[in-house]
Amino acid sequence: MSLWTLEFLRLRRTSRWLILGGVFVVFGLMGPLAARYMEQLLDLAGGETAGITIEFPDPVPADGIIQYINNAVQVGTLVAVIVAAGALAFDSIPEMGVFLRTRVPSVWRILVPRLVVPSVAITVAFVLGVVAAWYETAVLLGPLDVGAMFAGTTLGVLFFAFVVAVVAAVAQWVRSMLATVMVSLIVLVTLPILGIADVIDRWLPTRLGAALADLVGEGSVGDYLGPAIVTLLAMPLLLGLAAKGARRREA
Amino acid sequence: MISTLGLSKRYGDTIALDGVDLSVSPGSIYGLAGPNGAGKTTLLAILAGLRRHTSGDVRIDARPVEVAVLPDTPRFDPWLTGREVVILSQSLVDSEGPPGRIDEVLRETGLADAEGRRIGGYSRGMLQRLGIAATLVGSPSLILLDEPASALDPQGRREVLDLIARLRGTATILFSSHILADVQEVCDTVGILHEGRLLFQGPLRNLLVGSAVPRYVVRLRGDADAVAKRLRKVSWISSAEAGSDGVLTLEVASLANAEERLAKALAEAKAVVVSYAPEEVSLERAFLELTGGRKTL
Repeated sequence: MSLWTLEFLRLRRTSRWLILGGVFVVFGLMGPLAARYMEQLLDLAGGETAGITIEFPDPVPADGIIQYINNAVQVGTLVAVIVAAGALAFDSIPEMGVFLRTRVPSVWRILVPRLVVPSVAITVAFVLGVVAAWYETAVLLGPLDVGAMFAGTTLGVLFFAFVVAVVAAVAQWVRSMLATVMVSLIVLVTLPILGIADVIDRWLPTRLGAALADLVGEGSVGDYLGPAIVTLLAMPLLLGLAAKGARRREA
Repeated sequence: MISTLGLSKRYGDTIALDGVDLSVSPGSIYGLAGPNGAGKTTLLAILAGLRRHTSGDVRIDARPVEVAVLPDTPRFDPWLTGREVVILSQSLVDSEGPPGRIDEVLRETGLADAEGRRIGGYSRGMLQRLGIAATLVGSPSLILLDEPASALDPQGRREVLDLIARLRGTATILFSSHILADVQEVCDTVGILHEGRLLFQGPLRNLLVGSAVPRYVVRLRGDADAVAKRLRKVSWISSAEAGSDGVLTLEVASLANAEERLAKALAEAKAVVVSYAPEEVSLERAFLELTGGRKTL
Protein backbone atom coordinates (compact mmCIF):
# COMPACT_ATOMS: atom_id res chain seq x y z
CA MET A 1 0.00 0.00 0.00
CA SER A 2 1.34 3.42 -0.94
CA LEU A 3 0.46 6.86 0.38
CA TRP A 4 -1.57 7.32 -2.83
CA THR A 5 -3.66 4.23 -2.09
CA LEU A 6 -4.13 5.51 1.45
CA GLU A 7 -5.69 8.71 0.11
CA PHE A 8 -7.98 6.85 -2.31
CA LEU A 9 -9.10 4.66 0.58
CA ARG A 10 -9.68 7.74 2.74
CA LEU A 11 -12.05 9.12 0.10
CA ARG A 12 -13.81 5.82 -0.46
CA ARG A 13 -14.11 4.40 3.04
CA THR A 14 -15.10 7.64 4.74
CA SER A 15 -17.73 8.26 2.01
CA ARG A 16 -16.17 11.64 1.28
CA TRP A 17 -16.38 10.95 -2.46
CA LEU A 18 -20.11 10.40 -2.05
CA ILE A 19 -20.60 13.66 -0.14
CA LEU A 20 -18.49 15.61 -2.65
CA GLY A 21 -20.19 14.10 -5.70
CA GLY A 22 -23.60 14.35 -4.07
CA VAL A 23 -23.31 18.06 -3.27
CA PHE A 24 -22.16 19.11 -6.74
CA VAL A 25 -24.38 16.77 -8.76
CA VAL A 26 -27.49 17.57 -6.70
CA PHE A 27 -26.89 21.28 -7.17
CA GLY A 28 -26.18 20.60 -10.84
CA LEU A 29 -29.54 18.92 -11.23
CA MET A 30 -31.46 21.33 -9.00
CA GLY A 31 -30.05 24.60 -10.39
CA PRO A 32 -31.66 24.52 -13.87
CA LEU A 33 -34.87 23.06 -12.43
CA ALA A 34 -35.09 25.92 -9.97
CA ALA A 35 -34.35 28.46 -12.72
CA ARG A 36 -36.98 26.95 -15.05
CA TYR A 37 -39.74 26.58 -12.48
CA MET A 38 -38.92 29.41 -10.04
CA GLU A 39 -42.18 31.23 -10.70
CA GLN A 40 -44.28 28.10 -10.22
CA LEU A 41 -42.30 27.17 -7.10
CA LEU A 42 -42.95 30.58 -5.56
CA ASP A 43 -46.63 30.38 -6.54
CA LEU A 44 -46.84 27.05 -4.74
CA ALA A 45 -45.17 28.67 -1.73
CA GLY A 46 -47.75 31.49 -1.75
CA GLY A 47 -46.03 34.06 -3.94
CA GLU A 48 -49.00 36.50 -4.01
CA THR A 49 -49.12 37.25 -0.30
CA ALA A 50 -50.32 40.65 0.87
CA GLY A 51 -51.50 41.52 -2.62
CA ILE A 52 -47.97 41.70 -4.02
CA THR A 53 -47.42 40.00 -7.35
CA ILE A 54 -43.85 39.05 -8.28
CA GLU A 55 -43.31 38.74 -12.00
CA PHE A 56 -40.24 36.90 -13.25
CA PRO A 57 -38.71 37.43 -16.65
CA ASP A 58 -38.71 34.31 -18.81
CA PRO A 59 -35.72 32.18 -17.81
CA VAL A 60 -32.79 32.03 -20.21
CA PRO A 61 -30.20 29.19 -20.47
CA ALA A 62 -27.61 31.12 -18.46
CA ASP A 63 -29.98 31.11 -15.46
CA GLY A 64 -29.60 27.34 -15.07
CA ILE A 65 -25.82 27.63 -14.71
CA ILE A 66 -26.06 30.74 -12.52
CA GLN A 67 -28.31 28.84 -10.12
CA TYR A 68 -25.85 25.95 -10.04
CA ILE A 69 -22.82 28.14 -9.44
CA ASN A 70 -24.54 30.23 -6.75
CA ASN A 71 -25.21 27.12 -4.70
CA ALA A 72 -22.28 24.92 -5.66
CA VAL A 73 -19.57 27.49 -5.04
CA GLN A 74 -20.76 28.30 -1.52
CA VAL A 75 -21.65 24.85 -0.20
CA GLY A 76 -19.10 23.16 -2.48
CA THR A 77 -16.28 25.33 -1.11
CA LEU A 78 -17.24 24.39 2.43
CA VAL A 79 -17.28 20.68 1.57
CA ALA A 80 -14.03 21.00 -0.40
CA VAL A 81 -12.32 22.68 2.57
CA ILE A 82 -13.48 19.93 4.94
CA VAL A 83 -12.40 17.13 2.58
CA ALA A 84 -9.01 18.73 1.93
CA ALA A 85 -8.45 19.45 5.63
CA GLY A 86 -9.24 15.82 6.46
CA ALA A 87 -6.33 14.74 4.29
CA LEU A 88 -3.89 17.60 4.85
CA ALA A 89 -4.15 18.18 8.61
CA PHE A 90 -2.21 14.96 9.24
CA ASP A 91 -0.70 16.30 12.46
CA SER A 92 -4.10 17.00 13.99
CA ILE A 93 -3.79 13.66 15.78
CA PRO A 94 -0.11 13.77 16.80
CA GLU A 95 0.31 9.99 17.02
CA MET A 96 -0.81 9.67 13.39
CA GLY A 97 1.61 12.41 12.43
CA VAL A 98 4.42 10.57 14.23
CA PHE A 99 3.62 7.41 12.24
CA LEU A 100 4.20 9.28 8.98
CA ARG A 101 6.97 11.63 10.02
CA THR A 102 9.17 8.92 11.48
CA ARG A 103 8.80 6.77 8.37
CA VAL A 104 8.81 9.30 5.53
CA PRO A 105 11.74 11.74 5.60
CA SER A 106 10.48 13.90 2.73
CA VAL A 107 7.50 16.12 3.52
CA TRP A 108 6.69 16.35 -0.19
CA ARG A 109 6.24 12.59 -0.30
CA ILE A 110 3.60 12.97 2.42
CA LEU A 111 2.02 16.12 1.03
CA VAL A 112 1.72 15.40 -2.70
CA PRO A 113 -0.82 12.52 -2.51
CA ARG A 114 -2.76 14.48 0.09
CA LEU A 115 -2.88 17.47 -2.25
CA VAL A 116 -3.51 15.67 -5.52
CA VAL A 117 -6.13 13.08 -4.55
CA PRO A 118 -8.57 15.51 -2.87
CA SER A 119 -7.98 18.05 -5.66
CA VAL A 120 -8.83 15.46 -8.32
CA ALA A 121 -11.90 14.34 -6.38
CA ILE A 122 -13.12 17.93 -5.96
CA THR A 123 -12.46 18.64 -9.64
CA VAL A 124 -14.34 15.54 -10.76
CA ALA A 125 -17.27 16.40 -8.47
CA PHE A 126 -17.39 20.02 -9.71
CA VAL A 127 -17.20 18.95 -13.36
CA LEU A 128 -19.89 16.31 -12.84
CA GLY A 129 -22.07 19.05 -11.37
CA VAL A 130 -21.36 21.25 -14.39
CA VAL A 131 -22.23 18.40 -16.76
CA ALA A 132 -25.47 17.72 -14.89
CA ALA A 133 -26.38 21.42 -14.90
CA TRP A 134 -25.42 21.79 -18.58
CA TYR A 135 -27.49 18.78 -19.63
CA GLU A 136 -30.54 19.83 -17.70
CA THR A 137 -30.23 23.44 -18.83
CA ALA A 138 -30.09 22.26 -22.44
CA VAL A 139 -33.24 20.17 -21.92
CA LEU A 140 -35.24 22.71 -19.94
CA LEU A 141 -33.98 26.13 -21.03
CA GLY A 142 -31.98 25.80 -24.24
CA PRO A 143 -28.39 25.47 -25.45
CA LEU A 144 -25.38 27.13 -23.83
CA ASP A 145 -22.27 28.57 -25.40
CA VAL A 146 -19.78 25.69 -25.50
CA GLY A 147 -16.67 27.89 -25.39
CA ALA A 148 -17.98 29.81 -22.38
CA MET A 149 -18.81 26.54 -20.62
CA PHE A 150 -15.33 25.10 -21.14
CA ALA A 151 -13.58 28.32 -20.17
CA GLY A 152 -15.79 28.84 -17.10
CA THR A 153 -15.36 25.21 -15.98
CA THR A 154 -11.57 25.48 -16.31
CA LEU A 155 -11.57 28.64 -14.19
CA GLY A 156 -13.82 26.90 -11.63
CA VAL A 157 -11.38 24.00 -11.44
CA LEU A 158 -8.56 26.50 -10.90
CA PHE A 159 -10.56 28.10 -8.09
CA PHE A 160 -10.98 24.77 -6.27
CA ALA A 161 -7.27 24.00 -6.75
CA PHE A 162 -6.60 27.35 -5.06
CA VAL A 163 -8.95 26.35 -2.22
CA VAL A 164 -6.98 23.13 -1.66
CA ALA A 165 -3.68 25.06 -1.72
CA VAL A 166 -5.01 27.48 0.92
CA VAL A 167 -6.06 24.54 3.10
CA ALA A 168 -2.64 22.91 2.63
CA ALA A 169 -0.82 26.03 3.79
CA VAL A 170 -3.13 26.57 6.75
CA ALA A 171 -3.08 22.89 7.82
CA GLN A 172 0.69 22.80 8.21
CA TRP A 173 0.77 25.83 10.46
CA VAL A 174 -2.32 25.47 12.64
CA ARG A 175 -2.25 21.63 12.68
CA SER A 176 -5.71 20.93 14.19
CA MET A 177 -8.46 19.85 11.81
CA LEU A 178 -11.09 22.24 13.16
CA ALA A 179 -8.70 25.19 13.17
CA THR A 180 -7.63 24.33 9.61
CA VAL A 181 -11.24 24.41 8.41
CA MET A 182 -12.06 27.62 10.28
CA VAL A 183 -8.93 29.56 9.27
CA SER A 184 -9.21 28.41 5.64
CA LEU A 185 -12.83 29.54 5.48
CA ILE A 186 -11.93 32.88 7.07
CA VAL A 187 -9.23 33.38 4.42
CA LEU A 188 -11.60 32.46 1.60
CA VAL A 189 -14.38 34.67 2.97
CA THR A 190 -12.08 37.59 3.69
CA LEU A 191 -10.64 37.74 0.18
CA PRO A 192 -13.95 38.74 -1.49
CA ILE A 193 -14.42 41.41 1.21
CA LEU A 194 -11.11 42.93 0.08
CA GLY A 195 -12.70 43.02 -3.37
CA ILE A 196 -14.90 45.94 -2.28
CA ALA A 197 -12.06 47.97 -3.72
CA ASP A 198 -12.48 47.47 -7.45
CA VAL A 199 -8.74 47.63 -8.11
CA ILE A 200 -8.22 44.61 -5.85
CA ASP A 201 -11.33 42.74 -6.99
CA ARG A 202 -10.00 42.48 -10.54
CA TRP A 203 -7.13 40.29 -9.28
CA LEU A 204 -8.77 38.13 -6.64
CA PRO A 205 -8.56 34.32 -7.07
CA THR A 206 -11.95 33.95 -5.36
CA ARG A 207 -13.58 35.59 -8.41
CA LEU A 208 -12.82 32.44 -10.38
CA GLY A 209 -15.44 30.45 -8.50
CA ALA A 210 -18.29 32.33 -10.12
CA ALA A 211 -16.58 32.80 -13.49
CA LEU A 212 -18.70 30.14 -15.19
CA ALA A 213 -21.94 31.92 -14.26
CA ASP A 214 -20.57 35.18 -15.64
CA LEU A 215 -19.15 33.73 -18.84
CA VAL A 216 -22.40 32.06 -19.92
CA GLY A 217 -24.03 35.49 -19.52
CA GLU A 218 -22.39 38.75 -20.44
CA GLY A 219 -18.85 38.22 -19.15
CA SER A 220 -15.70 37.69 -21.16
CA VAL A 221 -12.70 35.45 -20.49
CA GLY A 222 -10.44 38.51 -20.49
CA ASP A 223 -12.06 39.67 -17.22
CA TYR A 224 -10.63 36.59 -15.50
CA LEU A 225 -7.07 36.65 -16.81
CA GLY A 226 -5.90 38.71 -13.83
CA PRO A 227 -7.40 36.41 -11.15
CA ALA A 228 -6.15 33.34 -13.05
CA ILE A 229 -2.59 34.69 -13.17
CA VAL A 230 -2.67 35.64 -9.48
CA THR A 231 -4.01 32.18 -8.64
CA LEU A 232 -1.32 30.44 -10.67
CA LEU A 233 1.33 32.54 -8.92
CA ALA A 234 -0.20 32.14 -5.46
CA MET A 235 -0.51 28.38 -5.58
CA PRO A 236 3.23 27.56 -5.62
CA LEU A 237 3.70 30.10 -2.83
CA LEU A 238 0.96 28.48 -0.77
CA LEU A 239 2.43 25.02 -1.39
CA GLY A 240 5.88 26.28 -0.46
CA LEU A 241 4.39 27.67 2.75
CA ALA A 242 2.78 24.28 3.37
CA ALA A 243 6.08 22.46 2.88
CA LYS A 244 7.87 24.92 5.17
CA GLY A 245 5.23 24.38 7.84
CA ALA A 246 5.39 20.61 7.45
CA ARG A 247 9.18 20.62 7.82
CA ARG A 248 8.98 22.66 10.98
CA ARG A 249 9.83 20.54 14.00
CA GLU A 250 8.52 21.44 17.38
CA ALA A 251 10.99 23.89 18.81
CA MET B 1 24.07 2.83 19.33
CA ILE B 2 22.85 6.08 20.91
CA SER B 3 24.95 8.63 22.69
CA THR B 4 24.07 12.11 23.78
CA LEU B 5 26.41 14.60 25.34
CA GLY B 6 25.13 17.44 27.48
CA LEU B 7 21.74 17.20 25.84
CA SER B 8 19.45 19.97 27.01
CA LYS B 9 16.00 21.10 26.08
CA ARG B 10 14.24 24.22 27.28
CA TYR B 11 10.66 25.34 26.79
CA GLY B 12 10.95 29.02 27.63
CA ASP B 13 12.08 29.12 31.26
CA THR B 14 11.25 25.47 31.85
CA ILE B 15 14.11 23.01 31.63
CA ALA B 16 12.82 19.73 30.22
CA LEU B 17 16.24 18.09 29.83
CA ASP B 18 19.35 19.21 31.63
CA GLY B 19 22.72 17.98 30.36
CA VAL B 20 21.71 14.40 29.63
CA ASP B 21 24.60 12.07 28.71
CA LEU B 22 22.78 9.01 27.46
CA SER B 23 24.65 5.93 26.32
CA VAL B 24 22.73 3.02 24.86
CA SER B 25 24.81 0.01 23.81
CA PRO B 26 23.99 -1.95 20.65
CA GLY B 27 21.69 -4.90 21.30
CA SER B 28 20.64 -3.76 24.77
CA ILE B 29 17.15 -3.20 26.14
CA TYR B 30 17.58 0.12 27.85
CA GLY B 31 14.88 1.20 30.27
CA LEU B 32 14.46 4.90 30.72
CA ALA B 33 12.63 5.19 34.01
CA GLY B 34 11.21 8.23 35.67
CA PRO B 35 7.99 9.80 36.86
CA ASN B 36 5.58 11.58 34.56
CA GLY B 37 7.11 14.90 33.57
CA ALA B 38 10.69 13.70 34.02
CA GLY B 39 11.50 14.40 30.36
CA LYS B 40 11.31 10.87 28.95
CA THR B 41 8.96 11.68 26.08
CA THR B 42 10.94 14.81 25.22
CA LEU B 43 14.17 12.79 25.13
CA LEU B 44 12.63 10.12 22.90
CA ALA B 45 11.11 12.76 20.61
CA ILE B 46 14.53 14.39 20.19
CA LEU B 47 16.12 11.03 19.41
CA ALA B 48 13.33 10.34 16.90
CA GLY B 49 13.96 13.69 15.20
CA LEU B 50 10.53 15.03 16.11
CA ARG B 51 11.80 17.83 18.35
CA ARG B 52 14.85 20.06 18.35
CA HIS B 53 17.23 20.08 21.27
CA THR B 54 18.38 23.37 22.71
CA SER B 55 22.02 22.36 23.22
CA GLY B 56 24.30 19.34 23.34
CA ASP B 57 25.06 16.58 20.87
CA VAL B 58 23.10 13.57 19.70
CA ARG B 59 24.67 10.65 17.91
CA ILE B 60 22.70 7.67 16.61
CA ASP B 61 24.52 4.88 14.81
CA ALA B 62 21.63 3.97 12.52
CA ARG B 63 20.16 5.42 9.36
CA PRO B 64 16.79 7.18 9.89
CA VAL B 65 14.92 4.32 8.16
CA GLU B 66 16.45 1.87 10.63
CA VAL B 67 15.00 3.76 13.59
CA ALA B 68 11.43 2.91 14.53
CA VAL B 69 9.36 4.92 16.98
CA LEU B 70 6.24 3.90 18.85
CA PRO B 71 4.34 6.67 20.66
CA ASP B 72 2.65 5.88 23.97
CA THR B 73 -0.82 5.64 22.44
CA PRO B 74 -0.41 4.71 18.77
CA ARG B 75 -3.32 5.75 16.56
CA PHE B 76 -4.11 5.02 12.96
CA ASP B 77 -6.90 5.85 10.54
CA PRO B 78 -9.80 3.83 11.95
CA TRP B 79 -11.06 2.78 8.50
CA LEU B 80 -7.88 0.83 7.75
CA THR B 81 -7.58 -2.83 8.68
CA GLY B 82 -4.78 -4.02 10.94
CA ARG B 83 -3.11 -5.74 8.02
CA GLU B 84 -3.28 -2.58 5.88
CA VAL B 85 -1.52 -0.56 8.59
CA VAL B 86 1.32 -3.08 8.68
CA ILE B 87 1.51 -3.20 4.87
CA LEU B 88 1.59 0.62 4.73
CA SER B 89 4.31 0.75 7.35
CA GLN B 90 6.42 -1.78 5.46
CA SER B 91 5.94 0.06 2.17
CA LEU B 92 7.15 3.30 3.79
CA VAL B 93 10.30 1.98 5.46
CA ASP B 94 11.22 -1.22 3.67
CA SER B 95 9.37 -1.37 0.35
CA GLU B 96 11.43 -4.34 -0.79
CA GLY B 97 10.82 -6.27 2.42
CA PRO B 98 9.51 -9.81 2.08
CA PRO B 99 5.68 -10.10 2.06
CA GLY B 100 6.01 -12.97 4.53
CA ARG B 101 7.31 -10.48 7.08
CA ILE B 102 3.81 -8.99 7.37
CA ASP B 103 2.28 -12.32 8.39
CA GLU B 104 5.20 -12.93 10.71
CA VAL B 105 4.78 -9.70 12.71
CA LEU B 106 1.00 -10.04 12.81
CA ARG B 107 1.46 -13.54 14.23
CA GLU B 108 4.15 -12.39 16.69
CA THR B 109 1.88 -9.64 18.01
CA GLY B 110 -1.13 -11.92 18.23
CA LEU B 111 -3.13 -10.01 15.64
CA ALA B 112 -3.35 -12.65 12.93
CA ASP B 113 -7.00 -13.38 13.72
CA ALA B 114 -7.96 -9.68 13.74
CA GLU B 115 -5.84 -8.56 10.78
CA GLY B 116 -8.83 -8.12 8.43
CA ARG B 117 -10.89 -6.08 10.90
CA ARG B 118 -11.04 -2.31 10.71
CA ILE B 119 -9.01 -0.90 13.56
CA GLY B 120 -11.79 1.44 14.70
CA GLY B 121 -13.00 -1.62 16.60
CA TYR B 122 -9.64 -2.55 18.13
CA SER B 123 -9.11 -2.39 21.89
CA ARG B 124 -6.35 -0.25 23.41
CA GLY B 125 -4.16 -3.31 23.85
CA MET B 126 -4.71 -4.40 20.25
CA LEU B 127 -3.79 -0.92 19.02
CA GLN B 128 -0.61 -1.06 21.07
CA ARG B 129 0.26 -4.45 19.61
CA LEU B 130 -0.58 -3.15 16.13
CA GLY B 131 1.77 -0.25 16.77
CA ILE B 132 4.47 -2.72 17.68
CA ALA B 133 3.71 -4.81 14.56
CA ALA B 134 3.97 -1.68 12.39
CA THR B 135 7.24 -0.86 14.16
CA LEU B 136 8.78 -4.30 13.73
CA VAL B 137 7.76 -4.91 10.11
CA GLY B 138 10.63 -2.83 8.79
CA SER B 139 13.16 -4.86 10.83
CA PRO B 140 14.60 -1.74 12.49
CA SER B 141 17.93 -1.84 14.23
CA LEU B 142 16.85 0.71 16.84
CA ILE B 143 13.39 0.82 18.41
CA LEU B 144 12.22 3.73 20.57
CA LEU B 145 9.20 2.79 22.68
CA ASP B 146 7.49 5.51 24.71
CA GLU B 147 5.57 4.06 27.65
CA PRO B 148 4.43 1.08 25.58
CA ALA B 149 2.56 -0.68 28.38
CA SER B 150 1.65 2.07 30.79
CA ALA B 151 -1.95 2.61 29.76
CA LEU B 152 -2.90 -1.03 29.35
CA ASP B 153 -4.86 -3.37 31.56
CA PRO B 154 -2.85 -6.14 33.28
CA GLN B 155 -3.37 -8.64 30.46
CA GLY B 156 -2.48 -6.13 27.75
CA ARG B 157 0.55 -5.04 29.74
CA ARG B 158 1.71 -8.62 30.13
CA GLU B 159 1.36 -9.23 26.37
CA VAL B 160 3.33 -6.12 25.47
CA LEU B 161 6.10 -6.81 28.00
CA ASP B 162 6.43 -10.38 26.74
CA LEU B 163 6.67 -9.05 23.20
CA ILE B 164 9.41 -6.61 24.14
CA ALA B 165 11.29 -9.34 26.00
CA ARG B 166 11.15 -11.54 22.89
CA LEU B 167 12.80 -8.77 20.87
CA ARG B 168 15.99 -9.13 22.89
CA GLY B 169 18.89 -9.68 20.53
CA THR B 170 17.02 -8.61 17.39
CA ALA B 171 17.37 -4.85 17.86
CA THR B 172 18.49 -2.19 20.29
CA ILE B 173 15.51 -1.03 22.30
CA LEU B 174 15.11 2.16 24.27
CA PHE B 175 12.01 1.80 26.35
CA SER B 176 10.61 4.51 28.60
CA SER B 177 8.23 3.91 31.44
CA HIS B 178 7.09 5.38 34.72
CA ILE B 179 6.20 1.87 35.86
CA LEU B 180 9.46 0.69 37.38
CA ALA B 181 8.36 -2.92 37.61
CA ASP B 182 8.08 -3.01 33.81
CA VAL B 183 11.59 -1.63 33.40
CA GLN B 184 12.95 -4.04 36.00
CA GLU B 185 11.28 -6.96 34.23
CA VAL B 186 12.49 -6.48 30.65
CA CYS B 187 15.51 -4.18 30.66
CA ASP B 188 19.15 -5.03 31.16
CA THR B 189 20.32 -1.43 31.34
CA VAL B 190 18.54 1.37 33.08
CA GLY B 191 18.63 5.13 33.11
CA ILE B 192 16.89 7.07 35.85
CA LEU B 193 15.59 10.40 34.60
CA HIS B 194 14.28 12.84 37.13
CA GLU B 195 13.36 16.48 36.54
CA GLY B 196 15.27 16.43 33.26
CA ARG B 197 18.48 15.01 34.74
CA LEU B 198 19.88 11.54 34.28
CA LEU B 199 20.58 10.50 37.87
CA PHE B 200 21.84 7.00 37.11
CA GLN B 201 22.78 5.00 34.07
CA GLY B 202 24.15 1.50 33.89
CA PRO B 203 23.36 -2.17 34.28
CA LEU B 204 20.24 -2.79 36.33
CA ARG B 205 22.11 -4.95 38.88
CA ASN B 206 24.56 -2.11 39.59
CA LEU B 207 21.66 0.16 40.44
CA LEU B 208 19.98 -2.40 42.65
CA VAL B 209 23.14 -3.34 44.47
CA GLY B 210 25.01 -0.08 44.39
CA SER B 211 22.46 2.58 45.12
CA ALA B 212 20.16 1.08 47.66
CA VAL B 213 20.81 1.11 51.40
CA PRO B 214 21.26 -2.54 52.54
CA ARG B 215 18.34 -3.86 54.54
CA TYR B 216 17.31 -6.99 56.30
CA VAL B 217 13.73 -8.14 56.77
CA VAL B 218 13.14 -10.09 59.96
CA ARG B 219 9.86 -11.90 60.65
CA LEU B 220 9.19 -12.23 64.39
CA ARG B 221 6.74 -13.88 66.68
CA GLY B 222 5.77 -11.62 69.60
CA ASP B 223 6.42 -7.95 70.30
CA ALA B 224 8.31 -6.50 67.33
CA ASP B 225 8.29 -2.97 68.77
CA ALA B 226 10.26 -4.00 71.84
CA VAL B 227 12.82 -5.83 69.69
CA ALA B 228 13.12 -2.82 67.37
CA LYS B 229 13.74 -0.56 70.34
CA ARG B 230 16.60 -2.78 71.54
CA LEU B 231 18.14 -3.13 68.07
CA ARG B 232 18.27 0.64 67.54
CA LYS B 233 21.00 0.73 70.17
CA VAL B 234 23.26 -1.52 68.05
CA SER B 235 25.94 0.58 66.39
CA TRP B 236 25.89 -1.00 62.89
CA ILE B 237 22.05 -0.91 62.65
CA SER B 238 21.10 2.55 61.48
CA SER B 239 17.34 2.05 61.74
CA ALA B 240 14.85 -0.56 62.91
CA GLU B 241 11.18 -0.22 61.95
CA ALA B 242 8.54 -2.61 63.25
CA GLY B 243 5.53 -3.32 61.05
CA SER B 244 2.09 -4.22 62.34
CA ASP B 245 2.43 -7.80 61.11
CA GLY B 246 5.53 -8.64 63.15
CA VAL B 247 7.91 -7.75 60.35
CA LEU B 248 10.99 -5.81 61.30
CA THR B 249 12.93 -3.88 58.67
CA LEU B 250 16.53 -3.12 59.57
CA GLU B 251 18.83 -0.76 57.73
CA VAL B 252 22.35 -2.03 58.26
CA ALA B 253 25.81 -0.63 57.62
CA SER B 254 26.56 -3.45 55.21
CA LEU B 255 25.11 -6.80 54.27
CA ALA B 256 28.39 -8.51 55.23
CA ASN B 257 28.17 -6.94 58.67
CA ALA B 258 24.63 -8.20 59.12
CA GLU B 259 25.47 -11.71 57.89
CA GLU B 260 28.17 -11.93 60.55
CA ARG B 261 26.45 -10.30 63.51
CA LEU B 262 22.68 -10.15 63.05
CA ALA B 263 21.89 -13.57 64.57
CA LYS B 264 23.72 -12.61 67.75
CA ALA B 265 22.08 -9.18 67.90
CA LEU B 266 18.62 -10.71 67.52
CA ALA B 267 19.33 -13.22 70.27
CA GLU B 268 20.54 -10.47 72.59
CA ALA B 269 17.38 -8.49 71.81
CA LYS B 270 15.34 -11.54 72.93
CA ALA B 271 13.67 -11.82 69.53
CA VAL B 272 11.69 -14.96 68.63
CA VAL B 273 12.73 -15.23 65.01
CA VAL B 274 10.59 -16.96 62.36
CA SER B 275 12.83 -16.01 59.45
CA TYR B 276 15.24 -13.35 58.27
CA ALA B 277 16.83 -12.46 54.94
CA PRO B 278 18.28 -9.49 53.07
CA GLU B 279 15.53 -7.40 51.53
CA GLU B 280 15.22 -7.91 47.80
CA VAL B 281 15.98 -4.50 46.39
CA SER B 282 13.40 -3.23 43.92
CA LEU B 283 14.00 -0.66 41.25
CA GLU B 284 11.31 1.40 42.89
CA ARG B 285 13.22 1.56 46.14
CA ALA B 286 16.48 2.33 44.37
CA PHE B 287 14.70 5.05 42.44
CA LEU B 288 13.21 6.63 45.53
CA GLU B 289 16.57 6.57 47.26
CA LEU B 290 18.26 8.13 44.24
CA THR B 291 15.69 10.90 44.04
CA GLY B 292 15.45 11.27 47.80
CA GLY B 293 11.82 10.13 47.57
CA ARG B 294 11.01 13.52 46.16
CA LYS B 295 8.41 12.43 43.70
CA THR B 296 5.73 9.81 44.02
CA LEU B 297 5.57 7.46 41.08
